[in-house]
Amino acid sequence: MAVTTLFDVADDISRAILITVLGHLPAPLSTWLATPDLVLGIAVLVFCALLLAAGMINTILLIWFERKLLGRFMDRRGAMHVGFAGLLQNFADGLKLFRKNTFKPEQADTLGFFSGPTAYMVASIVMFAILPISSGWSDGSLPLSLLLALAVFSFAPLFIFVSAWSSNNKYSLMGGMRSAAQMVAYEVPLLLAVVAVVIAAGSFNLNTIVYEQQNYWFWGPLLLALIVFVAAMLAEMERIPFDLPEAEAELVEGWNTEYGGMLFAFFMLADYVRALVGSFLVVLLFLGGWTMPTWVPSPLTTFPLSGIFWFMVKTYLVFLLFVWVRAALPRVRTDQLLRVGWMRMIPLSLLSVVLAVGLVLVRCLPVFGCLPTVGS
Amino acid sequence: MSEGAEAAPRPKPEHPILWVARPMITAARQFGKSLVRPSTIVYPYERLEDPRFRGEVDVASGKPIGVGEVWDNYRGVHALNVSTCISCNLCAFSCPDLCIDMVTVPGGDPKHPKKCPQIDYGKCSYCGFCSDACPEGCLTMTTRYELSVSKRSDMVYSPQKLHEIFARKLPMNPIRLERPANEDSILLDPPICIGCNACARDCPTGCITMLDIPKATAKPGEKLPKRIWKEPVVNDSDCVRCGTCISVCPKECLFWGTRR
Repeated sequence: MAVTTLFDVADDISRAILITVLGHLPAPLSTWLATPDLVLGIAVLVFCALLLAAGMINTILLIWFERKLLGRFMDRRGAMHVGFAGLLQNFADGLKLFRKNTFKPEQADTLGFFSGPTAYMVASIVMFAILPISSGWSDGSLPLSLLLALAVFSFAPLFIFVSAWSSNNKYSLMGGMRSAAQMVAYEVPLLLAVVAVVIAAGSFNLNTIVYEQQNYWFWGPLLLALIVFVAAMLAEMERIPFDLPEAEAELVEGWNTEYGGMLFAFFMLADYVRALVGSFLVVLLFLGGWTMPTWVPSPLTTFPLSGIFWFMVKTYLVFLLFVWVRAALPRVRTDQLLRVGWMRMIPLSLLSVVLAVGLVLVRCLPVFGCLPTVGS
Repeated sequence: MSEGAEAAPRPKPEHPILWVARPMITAARQFGKSLVRPSTIVYPYERLEDPRFRGEVDVASGKPIGVGEVWDNYRGVHALNVSTCISCNLCAFSCPDLCIDMVTVPGGDPKHPKKCPQIDYGKCSYCGFCSDACPEGCLTMTTRYELSVSKRSDMVYSPQKLHEIFARKLPMNPIRLERPANEDSILLDPPICIGCNACARDCPTGCITMLDIPKATAKPGEKLPKRIWKEPVVNDSDCVRCGTCISVCPKECLFWGTRR
């Protein structure tokens, strides 16, 4: 059986588990239990565990990746000491945060203070279940998976605001309010840029969107939408230059000023989960997902788990772009952020929608040849 | 206001796209440059002493200067030659941080134990006054700069530990103060002296001898008085001006002054 997707790995593991366990059971019970349904059920559980573990490890590696890249951008090296080239530094930091005491300010609202980070974390992790990162991804075959993904993705600022407000700290509250204002300004261009992709692909299903990109990737014909999407995504992820909610120079640590220990680790981890998921979205919508161009030699695209491999390569390259932006640009002011959001990004995203409609009408893309039949 | 003070015409504001593009290009250029090798050195694994980073080459020989060491006049941890130390206390006396204690080391006379400096690097400011003051040149400063320890008590270096550093023959700081030519001498107020021998006993250099004054100074044929007493006589060329004799004198009859 060819191992092509992560689910095949989970399937193999579940078969191995069943064979090992059933070997020790008496005969009638083991034959009664050895059903394809049980294999599938255990495979799904194993798959979820694998996905969560892979997502978390990738998130922590993403922090390492960013630290090393930022170091090079700043003519230094980043973490060097723990593990190979500092690879285990963030695991050590996480362990340290895990061991620390969790406390809350006296006047803070207990329910909001503790549930905010948890909900933020959960809302970020759920994205892993929605986005397909390889072919044969059963969870991604929801007909409106893109819509669901964006809905869940834009859910997080609510929890930021909840935890900021219940911290009972003026800096936290201001950070939370800025986060909410930013979301309002950047949700619209983000969705409009996605609308351009949806028009070009003719579907809200992320699998379909990726397969529509098998002949050409959308970044070429929809370059304008890509630029708007990446800029809005930066604001959504609250990364520099749009990290106003946690502007260290003005608000102490923004909305997570009052948080320490594991709750802070939740925020930190969820931030990078969102960065990872944002990179996933850019890859899915504009860079062809797990597919590779046909001129790539087939040994490079047919080895086991090649789809996930290429998907992750693209994801890390997109994240390199985010880090590049972070290294180059300073933080913008609130008025600049809102002006860019309302007066530049929304017209540009509308233009990109019009462009996408035009491209579909013409059925001919200037860069990559003819568009396949849309919507059929 | 003169005419020259007129404001220069404001530069034309650049296009907003350049606000983003220019720093992005700068960052990318920096990234490409430091991708091969960033400017920082990985300190515990690489050192500035490495000739790769020194960049200084001796003109005559063409070899890098000072391989394995930092700059020659760097004041690092001390090296103490215990065997030549005369226990004069001048290092402890000159220390502005009071970080030097004179502690007993084995190998001295049981009545008058040998005392050598013990340095607390938690207090030391590396000013180098002690090695300047040392008359025998046995307390010097090396260029060793790595002193991190995990316990505060490990910062106190005993004379033996300082001697180990000396025995390692680390490069020494060559800069030393010269002694001034016209130093004050130890003078005696003869009527007060009781001849107790304390100064001669405690003199680290042994430059004080107790002389039977009437006999020693009498001219031949002069009539000696009945009472004979002893007085310290200081050999100025051997004296290191440590002042031990002044501090041990019970009658305060020794003092600094210019010998006529």
